[in-house]
Amino acid sequence: MTAKRLRVAALLAISFVFLLAWAFPIIWSVLNSLKTDSDVLAYPPKLVFSPTLDAYRDVLFGSGSILPNLVSSIIISVGTTVVTMLMAVPAAYALARLRFRGKKFAGFYVLATQMLPPVGIIIPYFLVLRNIGWIDTYQGIILIYLSFSLPFAIWLLVSYFEDVPFEMEEAAYLDGASRLRTLWRIIIPQVRGGIAVTVVFVFLNAWNEFLFAVVLSGNTVRPVTVAMFNFVSVEQTLWAKLAAVSVLAMLPVVVLGVVAQKHIVKGLTVGAVKGGGRR
Amino acid sequence: MTSFKPTRRTLLKTGTAAAALATFGPAVLRRAAAQDADLAPYKSASIDWQQASGETITVAVIPASYFENLIALAPQFKALSGIDVRFEKIPPAQIRQKSVIDLTSKTGTYATHAADPMYYALYAANKWVEPLDAYLSDKSLTDSSWFKFDDIIPAWRSANGIDGKLYGMPYDGEVTIQVYRKDLYDARGLKPADTLEAYMSNAAALNTPNDRVWGAALRGVAGAGQNMYIYPSIFREFGGDWMKGGKLTVNGPEAEAALAWYVDIMRKYAPTAAANWNWPDIADAFSQGTVASYIDAHSSASVINNAEKSKVIGKIAYARWPKGPSGKRTTSIWNWGFPINAALPEKRRKATWLFIQWAASAETQARTAHRFAGLTKRSGVNRTSIWRDPDYIKLMNGFGENFVEAAMQALQDDTDVDWRPRVPQWPAIGDTMATAIQSALSGQATVKAALDDAQRRIEPMMRG
Repeated sequence: MTAKRLRVAALLAISFVFLLAWAFPIIWSVLNSLKTDSDVLAYPPKLVFSPTLDAYRDVLFGSGSILPNLVSSIIISVGTTVVTMLMAVPAAYALARLRFRGKKFAGFYVLATQMLPPVGIIIPYFLVLRNIGWIDTYQGIILIYLSFSLPFAIWLLVSYFEDVPFEMEEAAYLDGASRLRTLWRIIIPQVRGGIAVTVVFVFLNAWNEFLFAVVLSGNTVRPVTVAMFNFVSVEQTLWAKLAAVSVLAMLPVVVLGVVAQKHIVKGLTVGAVKGGGRR
Repeated sequence: MTSFKPTRRTLLKTGTAAAALATFGPAVLRRAAAQDADLAPYKSASIDWQQASGETITVAVIPASYFENLIALAPQFKALSGIDVRFEKIPPAQIRQKSVIDLTSKTGTYATHAADPMYYALYAANKWVEPLDAYLSDKSLTDSSWFKFDDIIPAWRSANGIDGKLYGMPYDGEVTIQVYRKDLYDARGLKPADTLEAYMSNAAALNTPNDRVWGAALRGVAGAGQNMYIYPSIFREFGGDWMKGGKLTVNGPEAEAALAWYVDIMRKYAPTAAANWNWPDIADAFSQGTVASYIDAHSSASVINNAEKSKVIGKIAYARWPKGPSGKRTTSIWNWGFPINAALPEKRRKATWLFIQWAASAETQARTAHRFAGLTKRSGVNRTSIWRDPDYIKLMNGFGENFVEAAMQALQDDTDVDWRPRVPQWPAIGDTMATAIQSALSGQATVKAALDDAQRRIEPMMRG
């Protein structure tokens, strides 16, 4: 009994240490975002201070407001996620269920685009977009984001589709359902968890992307990841404002995470016990 | 100067750029621009400012107050020339990347950009940008008696030239100087160091980590513009020469002595974290009273004088770089310049030149500095005449004792065109050296091993 208790206590302590290590940067950002610039630099770091929302007010409503950038980020991330899912669900279903010529090759090809380091393809992407006049446009950035979010989503979804028992589909066919209807009514509800996980990851990747955004964006389309850098100027780092923007940029992801959490946990478990390969 | 009593207002005026910008920003700046839209001083130049009217050019700059002030005045340029200028703000690390992509692909996205002087060798070797001499000597484009090119700080002109040809017009720049806490120095009866040796002993005398005061700090973080911004000055002061027998050489006795000095002062008398600090971190630490002295850009004076967070206002004084064993003082010759993208059609190149001429002219330089109506005035103007202007000096004197004298002497006497090796391979060399310096600073490699290794890596780059 005591041994078990000790073990539980030890496990709790270990998880607490890990939790603290992971949560520290976030707690630190939140605290700094509520401080004045002089409190940020105070030594020893002030745990008790009079919190101020000045940094938030400045970054939201001041001259260098990041509101347009948050809007940019939302358009890019939602756009990327919606288009990705519209294309990835049928594609993943096809790769999981259908037999067609070149299926193996198609499967490999989807993955091949993931094999290049992103920095190596920036210049070609820049040139392509430049030639079709899509630099600094939403469609341009979303198109480029699709190039990595789509393969990722397809491969994630394939494994979920493969887990749906074939018999369920057969039953639907026997009842006279068409393939599309079966997909919509039978399969998709079964892989809800997988779809939620994929949506979160695709959204997250698009939301956090910086490398492509900085090269392919401009004055019109400027996601928050790029705009944030303006608080790290050559003259000084505006810690409080930078922290405030970071917290604001974290919010949508946190909200999405909380909403999707139930599905994510389920989805991850489904993935974890997945047995067998391609049928 | 010692009677300088900073009030919140005066300090904000001269004070930190980005803070003021973020708070008060473009609206105020634009109003300021509108107030001061007298174009007569420009129209006295005997050129047709309207000759490229109707053109639109895009200019990439970094987010910094000295460019914000220029952006604020852009409506005046539009009124003068009929040329539309779109500015795009890109963080310093990415502006190099993005402009090189634009130049290699010859897409002509940026008519001009805030360029790093170390990149002109690369630009010129590939003919990505045009020599500016043709524009300077063309009477229809430049009124030389009005523009007074010779008034532009000579060190920056030569920094932006390759083989005697100018590739980028200096817009704003800086020198590195010694910044120290006069109160601490006085209390110990110390004087600002005249030699690197004395700088070390001053640092030793003031280093009292138990009271949270460290003797000195220099930029330590790895990067071509970070530790490889400070080290070259030390290297040259120790008598180092980048080119030995026509071959780029980064190791050898002078290099070892220089790097050993850098490692020594950082490990003995700087806060441990300084090995990862860039200059804003140093300025933050200094402003909190934890660093007794540092050597860095004169423009950092605005941060350590920021009333919002500095605790050392009124206790700051300045001096030139200490002399090295070779008897030389070597300051940075850093400046942001404007080149002309060679991929542009002819009329747009002319429009770009008119913009560059306007931005670099004495009138615009003054209007963005001491005569700027907004809160943040520039301290890195490109004109010798302005550095001597009493109004400008008055503005700069607010930063602390001996500021103008130290900065001006550094500009005149301590510059060295070979401060860093100016070769097309610089981006790769700068990174290699930065890594080598970091491994020595962190104690992962001995000074000699780090430099020999860098030399081994750099040799094939120079052949290629």
